[in-house]
Amino acid sequence: MKKKEIFTTSAFTQNSVWRQILGICSALAVTNLMLNSLVMGLGVIFTLALSGFTISLIREYIPKRIRMMVQTLIIASYVIIVDLFLKSYYPEISKSLGPYVGLIITNCIIMGRAEAFAGKNAPIDSMIDGIGAGIGYTLVLLLIAFVRELFGFGSLFGIPILGDWWTKWSIMVMAPSAFFMLAILIWIINTPKLKRG
Amino acid sequence: MANEKKLFRETRAYPVIFMLIITVIFIGILATFYQLSFTKVQKYRETQLKKMVMSTFELPTQNIENDFTKYIIIREMEDLMYYESRSDSILLGYCFPISGSGLWGTIHALLAVTPDFEKIINLEIVDQNETPGLGGRITENWFKDQFKGKILINNNIFNSFVLIPENETTKDSEINQITGATASSKAVVEMIYKDVKKYNLKLRIDL
Repeated sequence: MKKKEIFTTSAFTQNSVWRQILGICSALAVTNLMLNSLVMGLGVIFTLALSGFTISLIREYIPKRIRMMVQTLIIASYVIIVDLFLKSYYPEISKSLGPYVGLIITNCIIMGRAEAFAGKNAPIDSMIDGIGAGIGYTLVLLLIAFVRELFGFGSLFGIPILGDWWTKWSIMVMAPSAFFMLAILIWIINTPKLKRG
Repeated sequence: MANEKKLFRETRAYPVIFMLIITVIFIGILATFYQLSFTKVQKYRETQLKKMVMSTFELPTQNIENDFTKYIIIREMEDLMYYESRSDSILLGYCFPISGSGLWGTIHALLAVTPDFEKIINLEIVDQNETPGLGGRITENWFKDQFKGKILINNNIFNSFVLIPENETTKDSEINQITGATASSKAVVEMIYKDVKKYNLKLRIDL
């Protein structure tokens, strides 16, 4: 597969969230603010790219029976690096993301990509695949956060957009709206495909 | 050679040794990163806490290192720790760490009171894990500022705060609670009581 193809496949055609319905826990949890979603997305891109690269690099040596343990160890290490980085340089964002940065470890997308791609392909390809999947994930987060922050807070990236006349929809800030938004998004994106298919 | 290597990789010991080596490598990398960030994180936490202590006394926070030593004395009494604020040797008040269980976890806060415990000077939320956008709003200024100047003890009787809906105007001892976060609002009010009582008992003997 060509590099470009790897990227578009993992970012769009086989998007982890709307095609594979993976990683939705965090997509529900952090999407009430755009900034949090962006930082979360960047953290996931970083982890996906580097864990994919590392796992692929040592894939020949990983004993098959304990590969999950090895993958988790590698993924966890990168996530802790992201967490430490945020804590020391962006303490405010780290605080507002709370436990969700640490929970990137359990994001199914990362484990999924490690199993499905990095374990079988070359390091650079795995890295591109990781970046693609990460961007696809970030895109979904930002789309959902856009609607939730706009309606829930009347702002985007913390900048007030809608004036004082706007009645904030507190449902948009709460968890249920994330379910609605995600479901609607998946519905809209997949409808043409299903009709064709 | 190749044959021997393959044999080793098929032994039972191989996965164990592999896991051991890879764990040591990654823990080593993490330890390095942790060391690099440790002082920075620690320093930030300390400065943040100092700033909060200062702001509970409504003192300036621009020149934190100097002002903190100038105004604040850290005191310990039995197992209780508190801050004392003095300006030109006049006692401004006490500030003590309070905590209580919120909806998702423990809420830590700082509360400053006048020397006679009669009024709250200010409240600061240090650490909380409430729902962002709902209970998390206890850190917002409008909520914290409501406690400013509220009467705490009147004629040796604890004044009780009454929680009312967010948009209504408050009277004397009423506090606007956060819409959709009654539990978190309640937790803040309750922890003020619980801990003020504790500190009041110990500190009052001194007065």
